[in-house]
Amino acid sequence: MLRLEAVSKRYGRGEWIVRDVHAEIPGGEITTFAGGNGSGKSTLLRILVGVSRPTSGVVSGRPRLIGYVPDRFVPNGRMSAAAYLTHMGRIRGLTTRAAETRAHHLLDRLSLVGGKEARLHTLSKGNAQKVALAQALLVEPELLVLDEPWSGLGASAHGILAEIMSEVARSGGSVVFTDHREAVTRVLPSRAYTVGNGGVVLRSPQAQDEHRPVTEIVLVHPDGAHPDGAHPGGAWLDGIGGVRSVEACGAHLVVRVDRDRADSLLLTALQKGWSVVAVTREDRSRDDRSHDATDAVAARSAR
Amino acid sequence: MIALIRYSFAVVLHTQRYLAPLLLFTGLMGVLTVNGNGPLPPAYASSAGALFVASTWLTVALISLDSPAQRAIVVVSTGRSAKVLAGSIGTVLISCLALLVFGLFFPLWMGSYQVGPTDLLLGTVAQLTCALTGIAIGLPCSRLVFRRRGHALVAALALVMAALFTQGAPPVNRLLRLMATSPDSADLLAPATGMLAAALVLLAASAWITQYLTTRRE
Repeated sequence: MLRLEAVSKRYGRGEWIVRDVHAEIPGGEITTFAGGNGSGKSTLLRILVGVSRPTSGVVSGRPRLIGYVPDRFVPNGRMSAAAYLTHMGRIRGLTTRAAETRAHHLLDRLSLVGGKEARLHTLSKGNAQKVALAQALLVEPELLVLDEPWSGLGASAHGILAEIMSEVARSGGSVVFTDHREAVTRVLPSRAYTVGNGGVVLRSPQAQDEHRPVTEIVLVHPDGAHPDGAHPGGAWLDGIGGVRSVEACGAHLVVRVDRDRADSLLLTALQKGWSVVAVTREDRSRDDRSHDATDAVAARSAR
Repeated sequence: MIALIRYSFAVVLHTQRYLAPLLLFTGLMGVLTVNGNGPLPPAYASSAGALFVASTWLTVALISLDSPAQRAIVVVSTGRSAKVLAGSIGTVLISCLALLVFGLFFPLWMGSYQVGPTDLLLGTVAQLTCALTGIAIGLPCSRLVFRRRGHALVAALALVMAALFTQGAPPVNRLLRLMATSPDSADLLAPATGMLAAALVLLAASAWITQYLTTRRE
């Protein structure tokens, strides 16, 4: 397991950027480091991937295959996105042919706007970030490290990013990402650290959930197909982050999802042929009021 | 390593950063060797001097090409930053070999010299010595070590001047002086080979220092 032990970093005789950091990043899990701007998150990630060396302390158990997506990818040159990725694939030891195939597959999946032959310097920030993400996935990483992936990538690519993260975690890899807004993390991380004042603290899962508004969505499948018990929502739900719980109540599927992911969940549900019965705000601080006579609750109690 | 060198070449060719050092080299060659005659060593001293300045510039330009974020990606993809540095050195070295061939035959084509196999060998050894020394100067005078490009440029300029004009300083100044004053290539071959060895040591030391400073700075 990747482990940071008493890791500290400063440049020259400057101030400590991170100090005495202890953290564990287990395989098969999604770990997040949240904290304000300049809190040392990026430095921590650079130490994790091995680009930067800690001033003191030890990083142990770093896997060999690492995918790293920096926060600002400023591609230089007139190389096309596909050519760039092919070069990166070859550097990672792929054959030219394998690298090309993989590059095209990833760019298709991330739906790069402007085409695969678009020159790197003409790409918008969101599209450049897609290329940065693709290069990290050319070889399936054992450790995927993303610096502020949500802010760099356009909102339309958030769903696919969440999907990719859970894929890497499911196949046993570790996923680490940072976000400067502590409350808004679009995939539910298994482990969350808060970075601040140079130190890092592990947040308890309950604490993460606090103050995050939740939307309850009740869906029904028009074919009358009953959601099966083991996997009530079907695989498509896994791709969307922020899902708190999924319950099957008769023909209805009740999904509780973080407020900020509700839109994309609804969109995907409609695309998958589900029909929406009800959408309710579940306000935790005012439980009593929000549960008043809403359709969803009525529907549930009727069952 | 081959993949790294291919990538470096692709970036350099796409950004056209090779143009300025290339123009400088061909310009110097033109000024210094066109219509020359007599023994070859002085002409090859000019080729070697031109290649020295060009290789320094090329090294600085090539190593400073990738933005820090892009370099981080390449380092993570490669696995070791030392290998990335070695890839950059390899790329400059191959470019310098191409220039070396030009520097070897351009004087023969443009002037009327008495040419023999030892002359060609001396020309190769002398240019290689200067190319290696140029790379050795260029490595630390790059974005890897200097945060500001202006400082790197001043440092490179100072080191190039010092190597060219410090009386009797090995390898560049001493080699060029010997070649400019002695017409016999056979006599020069032994000291030139010594200078080549010195340049190799210099390059190894420079690569080590650059790598050390880079990892400390990152």
